[in-house]
Amino acid sequence: MSRGRSAGSRAAPPADTALLDDVAAGALRWLDAMRPHFRLPADVTTDADPNLTLKPLGELAELAQVIHTLHPLAPLRDAAAELFAFAWKETRDGELFAELVRGEPVATYPVELYGVFARVGLRHPGAEELIEATTALRRWRVAREDHTRTLGVLNAELRIGLPPHADAADVLAHTGLGMRSEPWALDRKAAYGITHDVFHLTDWGRAPGRLPDRLADYLRLWLPAWTVSWAEERLWDLVGEFLAVAACLPGAPYDAAGWAEFAAARGAGDAVPESGEPPGPDATPGERFTACYHSTLVAAFAATLARAAVGRSGAGGPAPTSIAGAARGGGPAAMTTLTGSEKSP
Amino acid sequence: MADVANGVALALDGGGGSYALSALLAQDDRVALAAIRVLGADVLAPYALGRAAGGGPDGQSAGGPDGQLVRRALAAYPPGADASDVSRWSYQGLAEATRAFLPDEGTSGYSGTEPAGGGANPADGQPYADRFSYSLSPENAGPAGSPNPANPASPAGSAADAWLRDAPWPKLSHRASQLAALALPGLAPALAAGLAARTEDLARGFVRAVRRRDWLQAAGVGRWLVRAPDVPDSLGLEAGMVYVRRMSGGDPRVALHALAARRFPGGGSR
Repeated sequence: MSRGRSAGSRAAPPADTALLDDVAAGALRWLDAMRPHFRLPADVTTDADPNLTLKPLGELAELAQVIHTLHPLAPLRDAAAELFAFAWKETRDGELFAELVRGEPVATYPVELYGVFARVGLRHPGAEELIEATTALRRWRVAREDHTRTLGVLNAELRIGLPPHADAADVLAHTGLGMRSEPWALDRKAAYGITHDVFHLTDWGRAPGRLPDRLADYLRLWLPAWTVSWAEERLWDLVGEFLAVAACLPGAPYDAAGWAEFAAARGAGDAVPESGEPPGPDATPGERFTACYHSTLVAAFAATLARAAVGRSGAGGPAPTSIAGAARGGGPAAMTTLTGSEKSP
Repeated sequence: MADVANGVALALDGGGGSYALSALLAQDDRVALAAIRVLGADVLAPYALGRAAGGGPDGQSAGGPDGQLVRRALAAYPPGADASDVSRWSYQGLAEATRAFLPDEGTSGYSGTEPAGGGANPADGQPYADRFSYSLSPENAGPAGSPNPANPASPAGSAADAWLRDAPWPKLSHRASQLAALALPGLAPALAAGLAARTEDLARGFVRAVRRRDWLQAAGVGRWLVRAPDVPDSLGLEAGMVYVRRMSGGDPRVALHALAARRFPGGGSR
């Protein structure tokens, strides 16, 4: 163990806002440059692999909207807003969702994706008519294998204005988080389950107060162990998700060592690899996108939540020195670059 | 070493009534003596049963076969000047356990070679619990008479035991696990108190160790946790110790820790 980790349960250090802003700005810059790879292909509703098309675009929309809403710095909010608008445009102003529901009437993902946009008033009447018809079925209420996913569906229903198909507290009780799984018994899938339980429950960090105290305390206790454990495995997207979850807790405990390690995992162009090392120089842009898009989105998202929490809790502030931020030209300089790269709408 | 660990584990499992370290191995076998040194105070753990809850082996004294055997092991493998902290701690722990669990018959105690850098001196008249030093680095290894070093409230102990207060939790847990043989009743109360002040951190160390499938570390940390107050109930420590023991595939040292944890509980959970 060579990590300079603080003594754990003691008072959390102040947040390094320069580092957080550098991570968020760098990630948004990279994501913006990757727009061509987020574009949906012509066969998106038929032959294309949704994991390579709809999933990245849906994540981009979900997280860009959070960043647009919560980030305290206007240039970053603006950059996120443009990415969100780009994603809506890719859905052809929502026409995509009507096509997806017609193709797979009982699939949940079109409803979940539509909810991201409906939440802020971007709606498509045709898609909505279909969704109302499919979600009213008893078939829609059949229990799903994955209760975490059901929390996501419930959140989508709330966003769209549909009646909830199940009792959220009951569903939560059956998740890894609600069950308060033994913290040493988590495997990778269970760990992702817990982070997403939190994201769905808190509407992706917008409503951290929805976390029951008992579960917040569970997370406060074990997040430090999980963050270290998965950083040792170099699974960076999960580390980023844990850092985001920490920002949803009361007082938003700042994990200085975890953030430093996560930031140091970034590669060229500030992309964060999903695991291990950043893609090598021989990687094609497509390979870079696949290897980094998810974890880089998580980086922007987590840095935004942690940054917003500084204002919320009234604690934190710039650390006296920020080697990582200074070396990377973080802070205002990075934002200028970001703003400069943005094209006029 | 597996044989000795097995023997201790069996004795702990069965109540220790007929335990005799000397019956587990041949006295002149240097490998056996080395095993005693490595297992440290745990080779005398069954004797602690008598103090904890009744039972335990029938009384042996410092002059008995087990006392003699331990003295041979201490004499054969004293920690040198460049010994690791763990080696020094283990040595001291074994020496202290001898004093604590094998009552002195009024003789001058063992006559093994005094190690460089602070071995216990059984003749110096101090209570054994107060003569322990758990320093992380050789320069901090005070003489045997270091005053109550594992008590964070004691200014005199602050240098030697800074790690108990300040070590990052992964390192704290690793060290605590290496010292698990000292988690016996009455053996190192100041160390136990120092670790009890960091229960949440130790619990995180348990989580990390299990995730790494480092069963020995997990079991060692678990031994301290069962004695600590306020163990978070969401840790699931009891189930965790069962899990660790079974997943270890029959590692006798893991079994020894798990059984010792069951035999010498304390504290409580929240």
